[in-house]
This record gives sequence, structure tokens and C-alpha cells, in this order.
Amino acid sequence: MTGGAATASAGASMLARDAHRLTPARRFRIYLLEARFQFVEVLREPMFAIPTLAFPLIFYLFFGVIMGARGVSLAVPTYVLATYGVFGVLGPALFGFGAGLANERDTGVLLLKQTTPMPAGAYLFAKVMAALIFGAVVVAALFLMAAHAAGVALYRWQWFALAGVLLAGVIPFCALGLAIGAWARGRSAVAVVNLVFLPMAMLSGLWLPIYMFPDVMQDIALALPAYHHAQLALKVIAMDAGQPVPMHLAVLAAETLAFLAVAALGFRRADSFSMRRIR
Amino acid sequence: MKDARYLVGRSLTWFVIGVAVFTGVLATLPVPEAAEGPARGVPEETFAVVDVTAFDGEAFRQGWDVWVEDGRIRHAGQRLDLPEDLPRVDGRGHTLIPGLIDGHVHSFLSTLGDALRFGVTTVLDQSTDPAFAAAMRPEREEVARGTQADLFSAGMTATAPEGHGTQYGMPVETLTGPDEAAQWVRARKAEDSDWIKIIYEDGSAFGMEIASLEGETVAAVIAAAHAEGLAAVVHVSTLETALEAMTFGADGLVHVWRDEVVSEVDARRFAEADIFVVPTLSVMVSADDPAVAELVRDTDDAMLSPIQRQTLDGRFPGGLGEGGDVAMENVRRLRAAGVRLIAGTDAPNPGTGAGISMHGELRLLARAGMGSAEALAAATSVAADAFGVAERGRIAEGHLADLVLVRGDLEEDVSRSHDIVGIWKDGYLVDRAVGSAGAGFQPEIAPAPAETLVADFEDGFEASFGAWDVTTDQLTGGSSTADVAVRDGALVVTGEIAPGAAFPWAGVIWMPGAQPMQPVDFSGREAIRFRTRGDGRQYSVMLIGSAEPAGPPPTVTFIAPEEWTQVEIRLEDFPTATPEVIAGLAFVAEGPVGSFSFEVDEVEVR
Repeated sequence: MTGGAATASAGASMLARDAHRLTPARRFRIYLLEARFQFVEVLREPMFAIPTLAFPLIFYLFFGVIMGARGVSLAVPTYVLATYGVFGVLGPALFGFGAGLANERDTGVLLLKQTTPMPAGAYLFAKVMAALIFGAVVVAALFLMAAHAAGVALYRWQWFALAGVLLAGVIPFCALGLAIGAWARGRSAVAVVNLVFLPMAMLSGLWLPIYMFPDVMQDIALALPAYHHAQLALKVIAMDAGQPVPMHLAVLAAETLAFLAVAALGFRRADSFSMRRIR
Repeated sequence: MKDARYLVGRSLTWFVIGVAVFTGVLATLPVPEAAEGPARGVPEETFAVVDVTAFDGEAFRQGWDVWVEDGRIRHAGQRLDLPEDLPRVDGRGHTLIPGLIDGHVHSFLSTLGDALRFGVTTVLDQSTDPAFAAAMRPEREEVARGTQADLFSAGMTATAPEGHGTQYGMPVETLTGPDEAAQWVRARKAEDSDWIKIIYEDGSAFGMEIASLEGETVAAVIAAAHAEGLAAVVHVSTLETALEAMTFGADGLVHVWRDEVVSEVDARRFAEADIFVVPTLSVMVSADDPAVAELVRDTDDAMLSPIQRQTLDGRFPGGLGEGGDVAMENVRRLRAAGVRLIAGTDAPNPGTGAGISMHGELRLLARAGMGSAEALAAATSVAADAFGVAERGRIAEGHLADLVLVRGDLEEDVSRSHDIVGIWKDGYLVDRAVGSAGAGFQPEIAPAPAETLVADFEDGFEASFGAWDVTTDQLTGGSSTADVAVRDGALVVTGEIAPGAAFPWAGVIWMPGAQPMQPVDFSGREAIRFRTRGDGRQYSVMLIGSAEPAGPPPTVTFIAPEEWTQVEIRLEDFPTATPEVIAGLAFVAEGPVGSFSFEVDEVEVR
């Protein structure tokens, strides 16, 4: 085994040197293909695709279209459009990164990919792109449902701004997923993600408006990234709680950095484990 | 490598298609119909409302463009040559009217904000606390974003000692004879009263006996006002006093009367005297009139502030009696004779609400025979001209851009006026939500007077400071009742607690401030002391503080036994952080359901 490991590490270092010599065109191609393969991979994984795509839509159908139709005003369908949009972006980011990464590490796929000349960035880029594309599909489907089934009408700039704000949410949420994926082991990762995903969605006011909660729960929400992201989305449609944008952005930025730091620690730990296993 | 290239190409193609589809979906999503609701993105300050039916203060004009620049109307007319980059509001299918002017209100707390949220951009206040008027007047000079209607006010009202107008707890200097008139009017002029309001009311029209100014004093005040260059308007409630006020030279009457139908001859005399009348049908036609209920039904409940709800649900104690039809007929006859009529609500009296009732008044004026243009003129240009309010009440060059965009065709049906698409005040969009505008005037916490005795009821229902009033859970939808009377030098409170409210109560409230619900700082005082006796039931003292509490107010209970007993409640015993700030003290029965009876005397805050 010792000799094999030496060869492998010699090979890896050679490939790493090669990686430095990647031309921009080749680098671009690798990024693109990795994104494509990963996207196709998750697309073919019904355990991932169905809940992340269907849950926000089913929830919106129930709370936005059916329950919302009881009120005369469009306030409820409009409000929950923004919050289920956040929910829709949150899901793929957490599951793709959290559960997907943990799974690929467990099965050795990650290690395999690390031995190829592919830059590590391409792997992460592919995951973010997959989350982004899934998020975009959910957002588009939600918008269509809100517009045509619930009768929501927004100004043109609001439609675009809302979509933009919602999709930008993949950045903090992917960071959170990365942190979870870096620490949790394959099987347990799905459970951990669910433990974060569902309570955070509820406490951030993604299912029911936050102002319906007791004060204590509203205070908890202030610590959650999904709350701040939802407030930014609600700001576009002038239905937010009136807190300043820079505050939301600052919290999101700080938490993103914190998640990345936690993820880095997790990888360092995981690397030492896998090296030990190889020896 | 060929495979890779092929895949790269396909991936890119799909990606581009995906982005295009996503953008396409976003670009084809429905947007609000033209000017559906000025939310964000609706222009303000400098913009134009284009292709709209405009009521310019006198008549409806089809296909007008109204160009607003820096909060004023720069130009209005058909097919204006507007700059390319001027933000536009599509007015098709809507009607643009000047901000409404309510010709008869009484202002305090948030009424100015509530008025604005319903398109009333200017109020003509027919008496309020002079300090409130002084605090609010400067804002009307500013062309800037505001959350309140502009206030023009008579300030303090001229009335007799104990006369109508003295019962509200506001400071009133009363008059006892004509020789005091000149001095009194000069004092009002010094307070910046915009005109003079005189009460000529003996209560006879309502089956009451109220102390009133003598006719010669009314005449003297009118003359003194004119000598100082101020207009004078008179509160009357009978045909006889209306005719008298006219002969005294009054500029206007601020109510129509309900006691007698005016003859055609007399109606013509009013017209020839060129006196204007603010009929205030909103109060003169009974508050139980279906028009009020209809209007409230047509209004989104969430648009009503707590104070609006409270006053709309209110009723005059004992009711005003019959006479609504007479008032209506008088308006018809005055109108037929050509008397200038002005829309005014007398809000927030019982049965009315600041702002919202103006839309009810328009409906009532229409019922009295006015066409849409005439009713709207009464609510805009006629009111502005009568009270000398400049730059308001018209869509005309140089006027303030106080504008209300109403859905649909108002010319056809003036009762649509409440269906507001957007309101601009000084060119700025008005946020119509309760609380965003309408936070309004927060009265300053007033210092407590030196005296400790609130009332000993030796001379009737008077408090040595502040005012007493009945309070029941009807404010929150309950149906408990209470009656108060002063007997043998004590306050007797009787009533019945009825099911219906979450927290039922009924009794009496003492409000220490100069204005209703103005908080007073009793720092340094330690306790509330009073004597009581009654039916042996448990009663409560509720402390109403400066902020509106979310739940029931802090409460301390006491028993009213058969024999007179002294009760002392320490302020610190009230479960609240600031028991020394008191806007009201309520002595009430709470549950259980049933009748109650207790007496209170010698109330002190010491």
C-alpha cells in the first residue's frame, strides 16, 4: 500500500502541476462539463429532484392559491410568493451541497474527482450552478402559478428584481450546505439538512408570515439567513418588516463567510481522515 | 476530444435556451393594469397623469394631461406637450380630482393622518385646542412629503360659560356679553385663528337646555371678527338662529338645521345674503343612515384606524332624534335657491370617521340632489373659496399637487369616490396603510396640574381638570352599557355587562389632558384615592397610559360595598412600567355578565 500511495501522490502532484498550465479555454470547458454532468446527475436523482421542485409548488398551491383565494386582497398570494421563492431556492442549495457533497465523499466519488486534473473550483462551481438552475426552475414555476392561478400582478421591474434577489440567495445557502456537507457523513447528511431546512424555513417566516409569530420566535428569526433573504425578497414587493437593506446584506455576508470557514475546517478534518484511510 | 467539444456546445446551447426561457417567462408575467395602485415605481414630485378624466374643481374634462412639477401643478389640459422623459401615470379609465377639503372637522391626535389616507388633503377645522392648531399649522406652508392633511382652523370657539363646546376638555375662554367680543377676537387673532367660529346653540333642537351666547353677543363677535379682517362662521341648529346669524352678517353657517323646513322665501334670503352653509349631513342625517353602513362595507376594514373604527361605531348619547329628513329637505331647498353649499362631515363626532366620512358626505349631497360635479365642487373649490384657502381645491396652474386618482368614472357615479387608486399630497404619494401615514400627532405628555382633587361632584359632572366620559366595551365590539348621573354630590354609574366582547367592561373614564387621551405626567404622585359605595360587586380601575397597549390595560380591582368607603390604590400597584403617565383612568365593572351600580366621589390623584 505504501508504494501505491507514493505513486498516487506523485501522480497527483504531476496532475496538479498540469492543472496550473490549464489554458483559459480548457479551464472553461472543464467547468462547463462538470456543471453539465452534475446537473444531469441530480436531475436523474428523483430523491433530490422531486422534493426540491415539488414542495415549494405544492405549498404555494395550498397556502397561496387555495387559502389565499379566500381573501379579497392579493396580499397573501403576493407575500407567500416571495417567501416560497426563498424556500424554493433554499432547498436545492442545501440538499445539493449538504447531502450531495456528503454522499459523494462517502462513496469516494469526490476522492476520484480530486485525482483528476479538474480544478476544485469546477466541482464547487458545478454544484452552485445545479442549485441555481433548480432554483430558477422553481422560481419560474412559482411565478407562473402565482400569476395565472392566484392572479398576482407585479410591476415588470418587480418580477425581475424578485427573481434576481431570490436566485442570489444560492450564495449564502450553498455556503450553509457546504458547511453541512463538509461535516456530516453521507447517510446522516440528509437528516441534518432536513433538521436545518425545515425549522429554518418555518422560523424565518417562509411558510406563514413572520408577524403571526410570538415575539420570541421573531427574535430567533433575526439570526437565520433565510429570514434576511426573505426580507430582501419582500422588500422588492414592499411587504417586508421595514428593516434596513444594509443590515440584511451585512448579516448574510457575515454568515456566508462563517459557513465557508466552518466548511474549510470540516474539509481539513476530512482530508486527514481520508489520508489515514489510504495509508 | 470531439465528444467533449460536442458536449460543450450542447451544454452552452441548453444554458442559453434556459436563460432565454427564464427571461421570457419573467417578461410575459402579468403586470398591474394601468395605475392599478401606486405602490413603488409610481412617480411623484415631478410627473404627469396622462389621458385622464379630470375634475378641475368646477367641471369634468375628458382626456386631460396633468403635469406636476416639484409638487405643484405646472400645467393641465388636453394633450400637453410633455417632455419625453417625464414619468407618466396612465389615467385611462380613472378620474383625477383635487384633494378633498372637509369643511367641518375637529382635529386631534391622528385625525389629520386618517383624513389624508382617505383623500382629504385639507381640513377646515371648526374648533380644536389652540395649541394643537398652532403645532399643526406650519406644515401646510411646506411643499414636502407629509403624512397629514393640511390644517386650517378657527382654533378656540366662542361660546357661553357651560355652553356647547366647553364639554370636550379643551381650554375655552367663554364670553358673557357683547362688550367682551373685541378683546376675545383679538386674542384669537393673536393665536393665528384662520377665522372665527361662534356657537349659537341652546339645545332646544335636541330637547336639551344648554347655556348659549345671547344674540347680541353673537352679533358683536361677528362684527369684531370682520373688524380684524377675519371671517365668522356660526354653529346653529334651528332655522330661527340661522336666520338671526344671517342678519348679524355671518359669513357662513357650519350646520344645517333639523327643526323646521326652510321656506322658499327664506332660502332665497340666505342666497341673497351670500352666506354659505356647511350642512354636515354626516351628523345631521342620523348616524344610523344606511349610507354610513354602506360606505363602511365598501371600505377594506384594514384601512380603518382604531380611532376611525371607534368614532364610526359611536352614537350620540340618546341619539339626535328625528330630523334627518328635515335636514335633507333643507339642503335641497337651499341648493334650489342657489345658496353656496360646502361638504363637511363634523368628523370625528359619533357615527363619523376622519377622512372616510367625506365620501359618505358626497353620497348624501348627491342624495340631496347634487350632480357629481356640483358635489365635488362643494368638496373642493367652493370650500376653498369660501374659507379663503389658497392654492387648493382646483386642478389649475400653480396650485399644489394635492390630487386623488379614483377608479372609474366619477361623473357617472360620485359614490365611487372612496375607490381610490392613489393620493398625492404636495406631489408626493401618500402611503394609505394605517400606521404608515396617520401616525399623526402624538400629543406631548403634559405636566400635571398642581391640584390633586380631580372631582368632588358638588357642582355636577365637572372635573377640576380633564373631563369625564362614559366608556364601554362597545369600542371593541361588545354591547355592555353604562349610564352616569350626578346625584347628591356623587357620581352614580349604572349599567349592564353584556356578553359579546373578549374583555367586557362598562363604566366611566376620566381623561386628565386638555385633549381627549392626551397623556399627563403625574410623576411624584403616589396614589389614586376615591370614595365609593355600591352593590358589593368587584370593580376595576384601569389605567390608560401613553402608548396604545396591545391587550387590556393595567388594572387594579376594588369592591364597592354598601357603605361609603375610601379606596386608595398606589400607582406602583398597576402592572405597568410607567404608571405615572396617565391618559385616562377608567372606573368600570368587568365580568361577570349582569347589571351593576356603584358610586364614586372625591377622586384624587395624590
